[in-house]
Formats: sequence, C-alpha cells, structure tokens
Amino acid sequence: MEFPVLFWGVLGWMIFWGVSGSILIRRRYLARDLDTSNATFIGTMAGAALGPVGIAAVWAGTPRASGYLSTALALLAVLIIAVTFSFADPDNICVTSGGFVASQVVNGLIIGIIYGFMALGLSLIFSILGVVSFAHGEFYMIGGMLVYWITEVLMPGVNPLIGVLGACAVAFVIGAVFERLMLTPMYHGKIDRPVEYGILVTFGLAFTLQYFVQAVAGASPVKVQRYVEFPRFRFPAEADLVWIKTSRGSMTLFEQVTISSPRLSAAVTCILVLLALLYFMHRTWTGKALRAVSQDREAAAIAGISPDRMNMLAFALGGMIAALAGALLVQAFSWLPQVGAIPAMRSFVIVVLGGLGSLPGAFVGGIMVGLVEAAGTGCIPDAQKAASYIPAYGMIVLTLTLLLRPTGMFGRRFASGSHGQL
Amino acid sequence: MKRQIPNIAGAAFLLLLAVFPLTYGGADYDYVMHILITGFFYAILAASWSMLSGYAGQFSFGHMGFMAIGAYSAGLFRHYIYLSPEPTGLCAETQFFGQWLVVVNPIGVTSTTLTQDCLRQAMDAWAGSVEVTAMPVLLGVVLGTLMGALAGFLVGMLVLRLRAAYLALFTLGFSEILKATISAEIDITRGQAGLELPALYPSGITLFGRFYEPTDKLPPYYTMLGLLLICLIILGWLAHSRFGLFVRALREDQDAAAALGVNTTKYKVLVFSVTCSMAAAAGAVQGHYVQIITPNMLFLLQMSLVVAMAVIGGIENFVAAAIGAIILQVLLEMLRNSFVIGGVEVDMTIWRLVFFGILLMITLRFFRNGLIAPMIAYFRRQGVAEETVAKRASTVTGPEGGPHRTEAPD
Repeated sequence: MEFPVLFWGVLGWMIFWGVSGSILIRRRYLARDLDTSNATFIGTMAGAALGPVGIAAVWAGTPRASGYLSTALALLAVLIIAVTFSFADPDNICVTSGGFVASQVVNGLIIGIIYGFMALGLSLIFSILGVVSFAHGEFYMIGGMLVYWITEVLMPGVNPLIGVLGACAVAFVIGAVFERLMLTPMYHGKIDRPVEYGILVTFGLAFTLQYFVQAVAGASPVKVQRYVEFPRFRFPAEADLVWIKTSRGSMTLFEQVTISSPRLSAAVTCILVLLALLYFMHRTWTGKALRAVSQDREAAAIAGISPDRMNMLAFALGGMIAALAGALLVQAFSWLPQVGAIPAMRSFVIVVLGGLGSLPGAFVGGIMVGLVEAAGTGCIPDAQKAASYIPAYGMIVLTLTLLLRPTGMFGRRFASGSHGQL
Repeated sequence: MKRQIPNIAGAAFLLLLAVFPLTYGGADYDYVMHILITGFFYAILAASWSMLSGYAGQFSFGHMGFMAIGAYSAGLFRHYIYLSPEPTGLCAETQFFGQWLVVVNPIGVTSTTLTQDCLRQAMDAWAGSVEVTAMPVLLGVVLGTLMGALAGFLVGMLVLRLRAAYLALFTLGFSEILKATISAEIDITRGQAGLELPALYPSGITLFGRFYEPTDKLPPYYTMLGLLLICLIILGWLAHSRFGLFVRALREDQDAAAALGVNTTKYKVLVFSVTCSMAAAAGAVQGHYVQIITPNMLFLLQMSLVVAMAVIGGIENFVAAAIGAIILQVLLEMLRNSFVIGGVEVDMTIWRLVFFGILLMITLRFFRNGLIAPMIAYFRRQGVAEETVAKRASTVTGPEGGPHRTEAPD
C-alpha cells in the first residue's frame, strides 16, 4: 500500500461516525418511542457514508427512514471504502486489472452460490425446528467422504452421479434417525431451554461424526476425479478475442475469466437442485406443509399437518443439502475429516446475514459472502496475511450483522414461534 | 448426616489431590502429573463456563477465546517487555523508576533474524556488561487475567441484546476472528509456529524444604490446583450471594427479572467479566506450564471438550462440572491404549473421542443435569422433599432462603 494513512484514516472516520450514528439514532428512536429494530443499522450507515451530515439528516427526518434509504446508504458506504482503497493503493492488481476483478467476481459468485445452497439447509432446519445445527459442517464432510468411498473404494469407476445420490441418501437417513432419537424431547416443553439443548446435542453429533469418520477413514486427505470434463471448444473460432474457450478441466471467458470444471458443475447442480427445492416447497403438499409449520406450528397442527413429522423431514433435508454441497465440492478440494469446520462457520455467517430462518436470505447472503471473500483474498496486498484472514472475513460480517441488525436482511423477528426468539 | 456425604467426599477427594504428588512414586510420575495438571486446567474452564452458561444462561462458545487472550497477553508481555539498567539506544524505551523499560521490536519467525531483535543487538554490543531482567511471570499472569476480564467486559457489553442462538454464534465468531488474527499476525505472535514462554517458575522454587527445577511438575501442579480452588471458592461465594440469584433470574426470564428490578445489564456484564477472567488466568498459567502457545488452542474442538466436560459433569453445578472435567480428562487418557479384536486393531486414540461424543449426546438426552451433579443432589436433598412439600403450598421460599423453583410457569 502506498498511502495506508489515507485508507486507515477514512476507515477510522467511517467507524467513528458509524458508531456515533448508531448510538445517537437509536437514542432518538427510543426517545420518540419508536421501533428501534432498524434504527441502529440506519444510524450506522448514515454516519459511515455521509458522516455528521448523514446523521443530522436521519436525525431530522427520524421516523421516515425507509429500507431503501438504509440499503442505499450501505451501498454508498461500501463504494466509499472501495474508492478510498483504489486511491490508497493505485498499483494494486484489483485496481489496475479489470480482467482480474471480473475473474474474482465470477469466481466469488460461483462459490457464493454453493455457499448459499449449503446455508439454505441450515436455514431450513432453523425455520422449522428453531435449532441452529452445529453438525451442518459434518454433514458436508460426510457428503464428500461418502462420494469418495462409493466411487473410489466400494465401486471403483462407477458414475459419480451414483456416488452423489448415495451420499445424499445416507445423509438423509442419518439426519432423520438423529432427529428421532435426540431432538424429539425438545418439542413438548420437556426441556427448559430448547434452543441451547439443540445447539449442544447437534454439537455432540458433530463431535461424534467427525471422529467416527477419522477413525474409519484415517486422517490423510482424499480426492476424487472431476465429474464433468468439457469437450474442447472455441468460439468464435477465428478471431482475436476468443469469447469462450474450454479445455478438459476449465473454461475461459474472454481470455480473462477462468472457471474450473468442478466449481462450474457444482454451481450449476446447486441451481438446479435449488429450483427443484423451490418447486417442492411451493407446489407440493409436503412443501407447503413445511412452510406452514415454519410460520405457525399450532395452526399447522390444527390444519392436519403433523409438526413432528415435518421436523424430521426438515432436519433430514437440511442435512442432505449440506451433504450434497460436500459431494459436489469433493471434486474441487482435497477432503479431510476436519474439512467441515470452515463451511459450517460460513453457513452460520450466511444465515445470520440473510436472516435466521429465511430461505431467500440464505441464498442472497451466500452470494454476498462469496463476493466478500473473493475481494478479501484477491485485493489485500499481503497475500500470506490475506490467506490467514479468510475465516475472519465472514466472521466480521457476522459480528457486524449481529450488532447492527440481528434479524438480518430478510429475517422475521419471531420466526418459528417461541424457538426463534432473539 | 447423610447430607454431609458430598462435603466429606469432596474434602477426601481434595485431600487425595493435595497429597498425591508427595506420595505417588510410579515411573510414569511426570506423565500422571501432566494429565492431572491439564485436568485442573480444563476444570477451571468447565467450572467458569458452567457459571456463564448454566447459571446465567449466556451460552458462550468463545470461552477458549478468552483463555487465549489470557495466555497471549502473558506471553506477549513477557516476550516483548524487558527491564534494563542502561538505555539500549535501539529499541523503543522509556525511563521507569531508575531503570529502562524496553519494548522489543517484533521480528517474526524468519530463522535468520531470530536472535537479531534490537535488544539482542544491544546485548551483543554490551558483551555481557549489562544485566537485562525479564518481567516476572506472576505479573504476566495477573495482566493476562485483567485482559481477560476486560475482554469479557467488552464482549458482555456487545452481546447485551443477543440471546440463545445469536449469542452462541456471536461468541463463536469472536473466537474465530481471534484465531485468524493470531495466525495471521506472524510478525508479532509468531502464528502457527507458536510463542514460547518461560516455565512457570523460571529459576526453580523451593517447596517444603526441597528445591524443584523449572521443569519439575510439582510446583505447577499446586499452582493449578490452587487456582482451581480459588476459582471454585469465588464461584461458590458468587452463586450463594444475591449475584447468584440475579444471574439465575437472568437465565430464567430476562424481561421478568428486569421488571422486578434486577439490573440485568450490570449482572450480565459482570458474569461475563468474572468467568472470562478465570478462563484467562487458567490460560496464562497453562501457557507458562506447557511453555508454548499456538492459535490451535482456539480450535472449536477444544471448546467442545470444555462444553462436553461441563455437560457431563452437570452444567448447572460448577463443582460437578470441575469434577467432571478432571475425571473425564483422566478417563480419556486411560482410554488411549489401542487394542486388537479379531485381528483388527482398534485405534483408541481416535475411537475414545467417538465414545466421548456418544456419551455427551446420551448425557444430554437422558441425564439432563449431567452425571455427577445428580449424585451430589441426591445426598444434599435427603429429606428436603418431605420438608418442602408442606412449605411449597404456602410459600415460594426454598430451604436456603432463595426462591424455590417448582414447576416452570407456562
């Protein structure tokens, strides 16, 4: 960085006015006896984006601050940071090379879709059971491990589709059995604090699954072949700028953006499964029943839906989604029994960012986290530090979300009855 | 008389722990002592965590983060600050009661420069004519404890509005950010290579008329045991005072407690500060005992070990949690031996953790109060049932002057 003082100075200025804004505007809302759930966020963003002027404007027009305004202010704040960064570090590859930025954005988007898909499972579980499943990363891990086991050990050379389907089926069964055995006492008020019980018992499952896999499969990394190989292709064939060019393992767009086959196939599969899930949730009786239970358990029970059965289905489906994400990514990364921890953290970040229990929120949040991580890894000057900080980027997003707007982007404050209390 | 059995058993257990290192003479003395010291370390963490989560209902997953804050504060303090009678002229330094307080510049882990920080250069120039003193270990431990309390205070302030799942995720995020920072700032913390600390008693110590080397296990054993006892006494005093009642009210219903005049903000922040400072003290002492600290002690599985120990002991009873931690630590070590069944070697170093996880789930599912707490309660509550059945009809005051929990109001 050539002018770090400029960057940190602006950042300090934004943090100072953001914190002041959050406190002042919240006080203002409290004094006026208004709903404060959005006040902190608007105040912070106004302060961060426009400094004292923004705070004064929001202060003056207190009750009229809308969702659009806060979104616009948030975008402005991000834009200011980006512009300051480009001035502070004019030689950075993120500033000088448009192709690099495009490549980072596309890859961030693709990995974000996969993150979002995995977080969707967690959000589904939370919206219906009111439990934050700490075993989500372990479902992801066993998904990949099962694909490896089926396609490389049990039946070498088999179509990877069978491996993926097998992994999903096993994860579904594990989820269903675990829910029946361990989570049932939560639903009928037999436990004082069901939320904590849910966290602890899924934590126990995570612990057990991880060491079970390590005991059975060993601690050495495994990897599977990529599922899809592109045919060789060039378009347009005779031109200076080749729009699209493929080799066996990757695809290059406009000679700038390279996408590897495993990631692309994983993202495409995620989108297809997501569409199938949307159809399932909105067009079939079972899916509608699931959504009904997430809105109001008692009313759903009166309408003839068994909430207990929906609980089982939701936990199993959530686990299966995580396992599918793992099964798709095992072709891209090498796989260890401990591999679930980082995606699990990421899923927590995404569901909180999107709003606990909100399915569209999980997907949008996933894409945002994917982009943030791509920017964080690509643009920070010291590459070694940037790599070490990868797990922290998401966690900073999580911490900020929890402090500024705990309901997230699309969260309902009292999702899923009493379980979803803040 | 039967009610006194837990007290008598506890006293006997304590006496056993106190005389054990003096009487035990097996060949694996150091190994056994190490396991027990680690057991005490986990016991402090489990007991303070059970105060935070079981009593006050603040479900924190960042307890290991506070432990690391204590360890790293002590380590960095010892590593970077020295007292010198002469100014070095190279380092950042300031006059301090006739001496010079020298702050060493961070140089990271690059092997070629490992001994080339400003103080080492100055000492080379002096060629042994000036005696530089390091900071006392005790001061570092106290500083670590204070930093833990401060961090607990700040986190407590930040999480005031968060409950249940949100609190768990926030504290987890705190711990992860800390871990990433420690791993990334290699210049200062040495990252994954780990920060080396001196032994707890760097120049040895004389106990009971016998001199012990810095590497001997007996002094750290008594230090850790003493710290555990201090923590348990403080926790016990807090739990039986108004503080204990207030934080339990916080757990049961925060809004109702606030409506009845409990200063929920104050007690929430206070319980965070107290328990986190205990975790930090344990971390600082353990860091000096094992003499190296790495960011790996912030792994989620370390935290899960503490959680599992507290849960299996009894999450709403910190003494049970501490005993559970010691017993489980010893048990886990005893289960390390691999064995062979029918030609298949079972690698117990991994499988014991699988069984541990299953035990955790079964305890949670079927023994909600843990495995050790009910044993204590069984003797403690002898005859209480008959006494209180009549009382309950007319009053809500329990045998010890506190409100007695009957069926949870729905």
